[in-house]
Amino acid sequence: MSCANDLSFSVYQPTRLVFGDGAVGELVSECKRHHIERPVIVTDKILRTKTDLVSRVEKSLGARLGGVYDGVIPDTGVEVIDDGATFVKKCGGDGLISLGGGSAIDTAKGMAIVLTEGGSIRDHQGASRLIRKQTPHIAIPTTAGTGSEVTLYIVVKDHAAHEKMNFMEDRIIPDGAILDPALTVGMPALLTAATGMDALTHAIEAYTSLNRNPVSDANALHAIRLVVEFLPRAVEHGDDKIARGQMLLAASIAGMAFNSSGVGMVHAMAHVIGARYGVHHGTANAICLPHVMRFCSDELGARYRDIADAMKLPIAGLGDEATGQRAADAVAELLKKLKLPLRLRDVAVPEAELEACAEASTSDGAIVFNGKFATDKDLLLGVYRNAY
Amino acid sequence: MSFTFPSAEWATDYKRKLDENPAYREAAAAWTFGPIALVIKGDAAIGLAEDVGLFLDIDRGVCRDIKVVSRSDADKAPFCIAGEYSRWKSVIRKELDPIKAMMQKKLELKGQMTTIVKYVNASRELVESATRVPTQFLDEK
Repeated sequence: MSCANDLSFSVYQPTRLVFGDGAVGELVSECKRHHIERPVIVTDKILRTKTDLVSRVEKSLGARLGGVYDGVIPDTGVEVIDDGATFVKKCGGDGLISLGGGSAIDTAKGMAIVLTEGGSIRDHQGASRLIRKQTPHIAIPTTAGTGSEVTLYIVVKDHAAHEKMNFMEDRIIPDGAILDPALTVGMPALLTAATGMDALTHAIEAYTSLNRNPVSDANALHAIRLVVEFLPRAVEHGDDKIARGQMLLAASIAGMAFNSSGVGMVHAMAHVIGARYGVHHGTANAICLPHVMRFCSDELGARYRDIADAMKLPIAGLGDEATGQRAADAVAELLKKLKLPLRLRDVAVPEAELEACAEASTSDGAIVFNGKFATDKDLLLGVYRNAY
Repeated sequence: MSFTFPSAEWATDYKRKLDENPAYREAAAAWTFGPIALVIKGDAAIGLAEDVGLFLDIDRGVCRDIKVVSRSDADKAPFCIAGEYSRWKSVIRKELDPIKAMMQKKLELKGQMTTIVKYVNASRELVESATRVPTQFLDEK
């Protein structure tokens, strides 16, 4: 992208990142920095009962701890957020510490809105509506993929209305994030692989987005370099804290990339597959990514050339489109290496419903910024069929 | 003759242009999600003392009415899109795609974004019709 007259973008990236082995020990200092006197931990029951992560954070907070809300579920919903906000009020909490994967962080983002603005999270759906600073929030990711600790997005399920609500607000980007590789060493290999592919998808879609900008470009390419080098290591050797740390960074940096550029068709497909069939978001992204890259390579080959360079692929002598295909092949090879499912049929998506999936993907917000403009159902259906 | 944006006269001509646009009728044929309000934020420097709303009562490809309303009435619509005067001027001049503008935080949206995104072609025809209204912008008077 040149700095031509039509270059126009804004980047807002307020999260203070604290990185390092044992960085969770900085939590009290970070609470003080963000004026949190009585923090409430937002997490899920599995993390609380099956691991020692929550107790480690509780211990770190000591007497400051206001309470632990452990009602987070995999795809957060209206009831969870409203219930969590009520819990925080009862505890007298004045700030949130989300601990977990993207769902815990997203739940806390929603709770921050309800605590500040009142009512139900249902009342605040939309984009760029919040004008006040929201309840302080420090995110502690225990997976390395969503990048939610640095982004302005939340997707919330309204189970009663069978609807998915989208929020896009600068004011819900967490104030702080603690990236501590020690907290991710226990993550199972398959979850490490799937969440890592989520980060790679964020980076590749950010780099090819219609809304890309020089800042997102720089972040996206570096995130790609990190994922390609460190994800296989983190999957193979879960206790490799260097690989774990680099993957935490990759996820956050990729998050910063798509925070200003948006994502694209892969996410428009993965959101639908996740919502309809309960497929893990990272896995759904991973399956769709190479197929979307192949679909887009005729128009986005030059962008894929940069991506191929970041992946250290041998592309000498290849044209742009062929380079795009080569990069897609490399992503597919990475999936095999990580032992992730390769096809939609492998995750029990019914072939008969591909058309309905394609139709649903046309109304996903992510489709707007796909680098190759494609909001037509039939184009999407072709990609779905290839991915099946 | 040109009409000041925003004004009741501009709204009346905008409705006429929508009625005359078959592409809008087709693209919005399945729209059953209620009215959309467009809010132009007040800017004293150009003589717009307070926020002004354009309330588009649209249904199944038909525009039943467009009224100039207050901000509080505009907020009652299930979808309310708000922005600075200069943003709307860019939209009407087709320099700014409204859906991209929402995603880029240049316009604010109250309501379900996925519904709006699904009607991307209808939104483009709404803009196309607006460009056909002979418009006098307040900051160019």
